[in-house]
Amino acid sequence: MTTDFVAETRRASVRSMVFRFQSLFGLVAVFVAAIVFSPSRDGELLFLTSDNLFNVVRAVSEIGIIAVGMTFVILIGGIDLSVGAMLGLAAVGSAVLLVENDFGLVPAVLVVLAVGLGFGLLQGVASAVFGIQAFIVTLAGLQIARGLARIWSGGQGVAIAYGEGPGEAPIAFSLLGERTFNGLVPIPALIFVVVAVLAVLFLRGTAFSRHVYAIGGNEKAARLSGVPVTRVKIVVFGICGLLAALAGIIHAGQLNQGSPNDGLGYELDAIAAVVVGGTSLAGGRGSVVGTVAGALLLGVLNNILALNSVDTNVQLLIKGLVIVVAAGLQRLRPS
Amino acid sequence: MRFLVAVLVLGSVVACGTTSENRSAGPATGAACKGAGGKYVIGMSQANVAEPYRQRMDDDIRAAAKAVPQFEVRFTDAQQDNSRQVADVENFLTQQVDLLIISPNEAKPLTGVVKKAFDKGVPVIVLDRKVEGDAYTTWIGADNVEIGRQAGKYVAEQLLPNGGKVAEIRGLAGSTPARERGDGFRESIRGRRIEIVVSQDGDWLREKGQEKADAILKSTPDIQVIYAHNDPMAEGAYLAARAAGRQDALKFIGIDGLPIPSGGLKAVEAGRLSATLIYPTAGREAIESARRILLDCQQVPKTQTLQTQLITKDNAAQVYAKENPGG
Repeated sequence: MTTDFVAETRRASVRSMVFRFQSLFGLVAVFVAAIVFSPSRDGELLFLTSDNLFNVVRAVSEIGIIAVGMTFVILIGGIDLSVGAMLGLAAVGSAVLLVENDFGLVPAVLVVLAVGLGFGLLQGVASAVFGIQAFIVTLAGLQIARGLARIWSGGQGVAIAYGEGPGEAPIAFSLLGERTFNGLVPIPALIFVVVAVLAVLFLRGTAFSRHVYAIGGNEKAARLSGVPVTRVKIVVFGICGLLAALAGIIHAGQLNQGSPNDGLGYELDAIAAVVVGGTSLAGGRGSVVGTVAGALLLGVLNNILALNSVDTNVQLLIKGLVIVVAAGLQRLRPS
Repeated sequence: MRFLVAVLVLGSVVACGTTSENRSAGPATGAACKGAGGKYVIGMSQANVAEPYRQRMDDDIRAAAKAVPQFEVRFTDAQQDNSRQVADVENFLTQQVDLLIISPNEAKPLTGVVKKAFDKGVPVIVLDRKVEGDAYTTWIGADNVEIGRQAGKYVAEQLLPNGGKVAEIRGLAGSTPARERGDGFRESIRGRRIEIVVSQDGDWLREKGQEKADAILKSTPDIQVIYAHNDPMAEGAYLAARAAGRQDALKFIGIDGLPIPSGGLKAVEAGRLSATLIYPTAGREAIESARRILLDCQQVPKTQTLQTQLITKDNAAQVYAKENPGG
């Protein structure tokens, strides 16, 4: 009887371990598959070339940064549909401030980050204080942010030219499109890594992180046990807006332009990364590490499909299947 | 857990091993031409295939490349996202394509990655929309101002020789073709007693064209011609007029003349539109240039401007048949 119990517990803990690192296993599996299916040229696997691996990380960096913020929101049982539009607003804001208003680099970045933070906090207030569902608040936020981006830009993309003169952005801003360490590591990828590491540390052991998980697990219980639910929720939406704005700044720097149409549909890619990373849409369960793995998994998948010149329409089918499988695996998870 | 670590370590070891070997090899630079005996992979990076014009461009490239056994063309679709198109081109560079064809989503954001390809020694053919600077091999496209001029000339000479009132349904606000098609038209009708009494944005979309024409027919019922910046919007305007019972009193003119069943050529042939002007996809010309660069080792001109053609009921069926040989 006791030995059965012990075996049972051990099995359960192995299972929970597997699920805890589900997204990492998934990432490793997709990575290995990418190696297996990699086209090669002159005896070298194209997928594993350093250029290509860094391309993958660069390509997911914006979505990855957004997805980190989205993880917080989803952990409290919310959702943020406004992040793609916020990216567009931030990209436009960066371009307009740098080029048309001749802001310096630091003031422009700070203003744009403040816009993102403020916008997120307002959405948090609407959701937490006035009790409107996050889906609806941020759906409205999406429209508002797009509208603001269109007004701010005059309806079209604002090109960023670099130089010292008036109407030119500081050359330092163009570094966002560059690579460092011998021209190898893209700057956006570095920023993504820094954001991810900070978020992981932030979600480990701080009181705030316990509150986030508690609210997502059972909001009423959290409130009764003294968690400042309203404040935590507002801050979480603020973080998400802030990170979306950061991604928008990177977007403008990489493409030398801020356009009101930037980031269309990015919210869905970010949600996909979070879900594939094993975070439950019901809240209370998941991790930033998972999200980072999820974003990388989707990036590697995109890359290997592209390197094999798989038809774009078929790519959509495959990516859809991967998301469903990832979500399906969660149902098997021990509760 | 131990297994996981082992796999990760193994993975990174493999990754590092390949990385260091590859750095010395480097991408092949210099002449891309290996003559007619070589095999070539061409990457075609399309901005989006939601617009029928761009789908047709891909189809034209595919059809033209079939006639060149040395060519294999790979297609990507950036779905109107500049970032995605940058990644598409990067992936083509990883695949070490021998030549890049790109129809950019927007000029500025794609300029950098096109330059990167060009600097690596990959010949680049830019179609339709341009990129900035001169780090590309050749640009092939049509002159939208000239197309607008021809449309204006047709209206002034054929539809309204004694002057009259025109409504304009424009392309997406802020887009270059919308501005150019509008400007060219205005240039041609100047001094002809023709007046553009109303001008609205239809965003290139059929349903928007219909919606705007609905409103125009109510607000300014005395217009005689509707000039739309593309065929789908002209077709939408026709639908609005038909709903109001005024389709025979009005004349409709569009631009693009796509040789597909839902395109402008068929609409002119059926009599819904009075005329359209061909906006060539440059797909066939792109493969022709690729052939000259890769197989014949020849130079191609930096700028290749394609001619438009006025399509009326007289030549619509004939041009359609010519563009779709074998049905």
